[in-house]
Amino acid sequence: MAGAVVRVRWSRQLHLLRWVLLVVAVLVLVVFVLAQRQSIEVSYGQSPSSSVRIEEGAAGELSDATVPSTQEMTTLVAADSVVRLPGAVAHWDEQRVREAIGDADIRILVAPPGLDEAEHERVREVENATVRVIGTQVSGGGLVATPDTLAGWRAQFATHDVTNQLAALIARLRKAPAPTERGEVRWREPSERELATVLADLRTGGSHVGRGATLDGVPEQVARTAFPDGAWYVALPAQPYGEPLPAYGPALSRLAPDQPIVVMYGGWIEYHGPAAAEFADLAAVSFYAQAGSRLSRYDYPQRNVLGAYLGKVTDVRYAGLFDRPLPYRPLDPLRVALPALPWIFTGCVAGFLVLSARSLRRSGVLGAAGRARHGAGAARLAGLTALAVEVSLLTDARSNPALTRGIGKLQAARSALDDGLPARHVWELLDEATAELDETARMVGIASYRPASYLQGRLS
Amino acid sequence: MSPSLLIWLVGGVLLLAAGIVTTLLPRLRTRTRATRVAWSRARAAIDSATVSRDAAAVRLPEADRLLARAELLAAEHGGTAAAQAATEHARQADRLWRAQS
Repeated sequence: MAGAVVRVRWSRQLHLLRWVLLVVAVLVLVVFVLAQRQSIEVSYGQSPSSSVRIEEGAAGELSDATVPSTQEMTTLVAADSVVRLPGAVAHWDEQRVREAIGDADIRILVAPPGLDEAEHERVREVENATVRVIGTQVSGGGLVATPDTLAGWRAQFATHDVTNQLAALIARLRKAPAPTERGEVRWREPSERELATVLADLRTGGSHVGRGATLDGVPEQVARTAFPDGAWYVALPAQPYGEPLPAYGPALSRLAPDQPIVVMYGGWIEYHGPAAAEFADLAAVSFYAQAGSRLSRYDYPQRNVLGAYLGKVTDVRYAGLFDRPLPYRPLDPLRVALPALPWIFTGCVAGFLVLSARSLRRSGVLGAAGRARHGAGAARLAGLTALAVEVSLLTDARSNPALTRGIGKLQAARSALDDGLPARHVWELLDEATAELDETARMVGIASYRPASYLQGRLS
Repeated sequence: MSPSLLIWLVGGVLLLAAGIVTTLLPRLRTRTRATRVAWSRARAAIDSATVSRDAAAVRLPEADRLLARAELLAAEHGGTAAAQAATEHARQADRLWRAQS
């Protein structure tokens, strides 16, 4: 009895488990489908550097410089092989460029940086200029020459040196072999007095703006994300062409080894200090490779160049390339669980299938069908059949029909029992047979042959 | 097609199939059983009515007609409703004959 109770409870739990498995499988399926959403968000480890689109001129990249009309410039270029418009900043090693030009008729038009779109158009329309230099961007014949090394960018942005670009472009236009790059920027040690002035500024305000530099303050927010512990900023104007650059970075690093130092020479930015080897070159290369083209054509204020550079440093920092620890990123349970989902789903499906098959078998659809259930119905049928046989000896014409009907009902009950029809139906047929046999016994007139007492007698 | 995607597809189809089978099979089985029970009852009633007719002293056209209709229904072997109608006709005929004898 106790075993039966346990089995019933166990069976109910299995039934419940079946539906739980189904619900879990459907949930997992839904999670899987939702996780299929494609994400196109790209960031350097969720770096907070801003990526807002900026309109032309909004970043202060346009200068006051302007250019004469196309007609006037054409006349100037026709008169002279090298024309420097007012405000032009580009310089080059004339000896090398002359060698590159050789005996070809190459005419160079040098325009100032920071022109707007219409002025650019005017410069581009000067058709007799073979090579155009706008700011420090060298173009001609549908080609643009840009440096692709840090040394090249340093020369271009720190001293406005375009020798290598000019030589390369002219060689290309003359279909001559490309010249080797030369003319690295030269460095000099800053004098004691220079260093003392800069250091005094840095110690008091954290930044030094040299005479002629356009930096009017460090962009605070991006500076905080780029260098959370603070940094010293030294801003100098672009250095005159041909003169050595004062190497403030190494000199200051020697005086304050743990201090991050950012030195600007015009549009060129250097980093010195902790972890410089890990990221400084990377940040500079990615910054100038991306922004170099615009920096060369336009006249950005140093504050905006510095802001963009610090944004790049922030990106590099958040990409985890230097200066750990990274900002904390909580574990995404979905990403962790995703590979396991198909297996969980498979398990749930298998469990549901097994339990479904079990439930089908229990309800008698599979396998157990047609098994005759012998029990109370069979016993009663046997008893009533025996009674019918006994009473059949005593019947006459009047009681025969009832007996025959009773035997017919008994036969029907027998076949219903054999066919595995429900016990209730068998019982119903037996009830009818009992009524017929009862009538028979009444007609024969022997009370002990009435089914109720006969069956009782058989039992006792 | 990746194996993972295959798992989801096959698993989903299996779940659906298992659900449908476990719902439909017992229902189908109950229905066929109900039909069989109804016909078992109908046949028993027709047998009884036949016995009563053979035992009856007089002919009753009304009862004959009812029994004939029940037998016709049984010969056509329809669904549960037909079986119930046949049962009803046979029982009525049976009652008529029994009232006579």
